[in-house]
Formats: sequence, structure tokens, C-alpha cells
Amino acid sequence: MNAGVALGIVAVVVVATILLGLRGVRGVAMDPQEYIVGGRSIGALLLWLLLAGEIYTTFTFLGAAGWAYGKGAPAYYILCYGTIAYIISFFIAPPIHRIARERGYLTGPDFFADRYGSKALGALVALLGFVMLVPYVTLQLTGLQILLQLAGYGRLNALAAVALGFFAIALFTFVAGLRGAAWASVAKDGLVLLGVIFAGIVLPSQFFGSPAGALDAVIRDHPGWLVIAGPSSPSGITWVITTTVLTACGFFMWPQSMAAIYSARNEDALRRNAVFLPFYQVMLLLVFFAGFAALEILPGLKGSDADKSFMLVVQQHYPAWVLGVIASAGVLAALVPASGQLLAAASIVGKNVLADYGFARDAEAQTRATRFLVLIVALLAFGFWALAKTTLVGLLLIGYNGITQLFPGVVLGLAARRPHALAVGAGIVTGIIALVFFAVDQAQKGGGVVAHSVFAPVNTGLLALVLNVVVLAVLSVALRSSGAARSAPVRR
Amino acid sequence: MSPRVVAAVCAVIPALALTLGVALVDRLEPRILGLPFVLAWIVAWVLLTPAFMWVAYRSTRA
Repeated sequence: MNAGVALGIVAVVVVATILLGLRGVRGVAMDPQEYIVGGRSIGALLLWLLLAGEIYTTFTFLGAAGWAYGKGAPAYYILCYGTIAYIISFFIAPPIHRIARERGYLTGPDFFADRYGSKALGALVALLGFVMLVPYVTLQLTGLQILLQLAGYGRLNALAAVALGFFAIALFTFVAGLRGAAWASVAKDGLVLLGVIFAGIVLPSQFFGSPAGALDAVIRDHPGWLVIAGPSSPSGITWVITTTVLTACGFFMWPQSMAAIYSARNEDALRRNAVFLPFYQVMLLLVFFAGFAALEILPGLKGSDADKSFMLVVQQHYPAWVLGVIASAGVLAALVPASGQLLAAASIVGKNVLADYGFARDAEAQTRATRFLVLIVALLAFGFWALAKTTLVGLLLIGYNGITQLFPGVVLGLAARRPHALAVGAGIVTGIIALVFFAVDQAQKGGGVVAHSVFAPVNTGLLALVLNVVVLAVLSVALRSSGAARSAPVRR
Repeated sequence: MSPRVVAAVCAVIPALALTLGVALVDRLEPRILGLPFVLAWIVAWVLLTPAFMWVAYRSTRA
């Protein structure tokens, strides 16, 4: 009965959102330009939702609370990195948009291929984006599984829940396109806001009198939990700062974020969004409150179970319909971004690997290939989910470590005099090799690939980024002095 | 100051406050509105960032 009510509400909300997405794209002709970058005519308000899509994923909803629950204050980094990412985007997004419009880019790797005059670099970047999106999609899938299991009051087994989530994501990806996803974000963000206010204000107020009351209880029972370098806190301040810097640089490097930048109507819409988007971040504070309150109400969840923290409290202490509404918010927060990520992963390989190398030349073959690739990413994500049982934050950090290796190439690609494609490519490859080395090293020290890399004193992704830049700089100078051809001269 | 310099300064101040600044204020007390001091610091700077970036926006447009 309870399970029926909660799961029923989730189903209704998902169907209604898909219909809203479809309504948003009604009468819009679906050529690739429209499908992938919304015809480059997304206005300021819809753009806000697209650019902010990152914040309101299932990671925010479950992962941030799970971290506040499981690790305490290091979770604060999540508030910092988005804000700094918007500051960076103020400077790099408008010129990226301008160049993309002038040169007709559809995908993130197009930027590399054209700016550095190298199809091979474009393909390398596409493959990297594809691989790094797998843990990100896995994150959404894991979130879906947690939410559906909770909403099913344990009646739904994990596999069935993931299969259902899978189906929903695939369906959504096929129908929506970028503009449809932006419209679906309207429903998603509205509902998530509602859920977060409930979990972060109403719930702690009922148990502790106020959110601050929940913090008092945590300070009493877990001294040091609410400061970053506290005695019980497992990761140091250095790790928090380096991770903030790394993720802030990586924030707009994702293929779906580059597509969002391309989709803007004009540069000014991007600039104004960069100014005001930090306000959206504050919602995360409420998510932390929810995680801290859950730590007091329902202590003892270990490892990746911490991601369930406040949802379990809702399940145990509130009626089924409340659980249903909150779970729906979380399900949308997983579904909508996941469809964008699947689409981005598939389209970059379809365009920059298959089409650019002469496979799938005509539009019809490309569409077929893209759909097939959507399926492959989804299957890889499924495999990753089955093998690596890690926390949501762990998954996010794996993806960020990799994707941030593109940052130097994007920033330098805006300049009039650009380094040689070989230098950029070698830098990226160096960064990735370093990451694999760190991961293997940490796995051998025990604790798994993620558990340790998360708590090394310095974020290993940033170390890899430094190596990346060093190789890029050295090779760039060497190639220049040896008189090797520079990249094609710029047309601005 | 040239608009570019103004924009750069407006960007660097909140960015430093949210990275190195966090290391300097990593304390529980004094609590502000119930928040640990370090969390209150972060939230305050997240809210202040749009003001700084608005100045950057105006200066680069003028």
C-alpha cells in the first residue's frame, strides 16, 4: 500500500515531466543543430536552468547530504566550487560561445579540433569525455536505484529498480533533445527546491526545533564534525582547497556544459547568468542541514549507505505521499541530467570519432550511431555500477579528475597565438596516465580506488593537471623553437 | 583602473575568500545564526560573489 502510493507519485511526476519536455519542443524542427545545441537560441531564463543543471543533480540531492552525514565539514567544498566555477565562466564562456557560433561547432571536441587544427585531438577529447561521463551517469543511476528502492519500501529489489531507472532515462533521452531537457529542468528544479526546503528546514525543525538545533546536537555528539580540519574529520583543509580548485576548473569542461554554452542566444546572456548563478548554490546549505539532521536521527549508516541518510528518515517518520513527492524530486534530479549526459557522450563520439573519420557520413546513419552509442554508455554505466560500489561523491570525483584535464586546452584555445595540437594532446594524455597511476597506487595501498584518492592530502586530479600543464608548456616551447608548424592562424 | 583590471580584481577577491580564506577561518566559534563560523563565511561569500561579479559586468560593458 505505502509502496504503491510512493511509487505511484514518482511515476506520475516522471510522465508529467516527459510530457512537459515534449510540449517545450512541439513544433520545433529537429535537425542536429536544434537537437544538440537548441538552435543556439536559448534565452537567459532557460539558459539559467541549463547552466545550473549541474547543481541540482541527484548528487546534490543525495550525495551532498550523504557527505555531510558521512564525512562532515569537508562537504562544504561543494558550496565553494560551483561559485568559483561561475566566476571562471564569466571570463571563458562568452568567448567560447562567440567562437562556436562563428565556426559552427556542435560539440565540445569540435572546439579542440578546429582551434588546434587537428581532427585527431578532437577525437582524443571526445573519447576522454565519453569515458569520463560513464562514472557520472553511474552516479545518476546509483541515485535512481536508492530512491526507487526507498520509495518501494524495500519491495523493489536493486536490479529491478536500476532496470526501471535505465528504461526511464533511455526514454527521456530519445524524446527530449537539449531544449526539451531545459524545459524538463523547470519541473525538476521546482520540485527539488520543494524537497530541499522540506528536508533542510521542515524536517530538522520538527526534530530539533530549528536547523541550528540540529547543528547544536551534531556539535555535542560529534565534536569537530562541523569544521574542516576537526579532530574527527578524515580529510584535511589542503584536500578541500585543492579539490575546490580542481572541480571549479572542470565544471564547464563537460561535453554537456560546453553544449549549454553553445546553446545561449548571445554572450550577454552567459555573462549575466555567470553573475547571478551563485545564488542558486545556497540551496546546498539546506541539503547539508538535512544530512546533519539525519546523522542525529538515524546514526550508524556506513560507507555508501550514507547517501540514503535523510531519505531513510523521511521513509521512517513521514507518510508515504511525502516520501513519494520527495523521491520524485530526486528521481527527476537524476533523470534529466542523466539524459543530457548520455546524449552528450553519444554525440561527441558520433560526431568527432565516427563522422569525422568517414564512418556514418549521412544524417540518418549518424542518428543511428548516436542512439546505439547512448545504449553503450548506459551499459557501461550499468557495469560500473555493478563493479564499483562507491559513494556518489567518489563517482563525481573520478569524473572530475579526468574531465578537468581539458581545462588548459580550452583556456589556451581562446588565445590568438595557440600552442601546437601535439603539445595540448600530450598534456592531456600525461594527465590521464598520471591519474591511472595514482588510482592503481591507491588501490594497492588498500581501501579501493576511490576511498583513498578522496583523502590523499592533495587532490590527485590537481597533481595530474599540473603535470599536464608542464608537459604542454615544455612541448609547446620545443615545437615552436624547432620551427614545427603552429596551429592554423586564427580567424576571430 | 582599466575595466579589465576592475573585472579581474572583482573575480579574484571572492575566489581567494572561498579557497585560501576558508583555511584561515576554519573555526566553529563564533557561530553566526547557528552556523559554524567557517560555514557562515562560505555562505556569506557565495552571496557576496554576485555583487562583485555585477561590478565586473558593469565595468566591462561600460
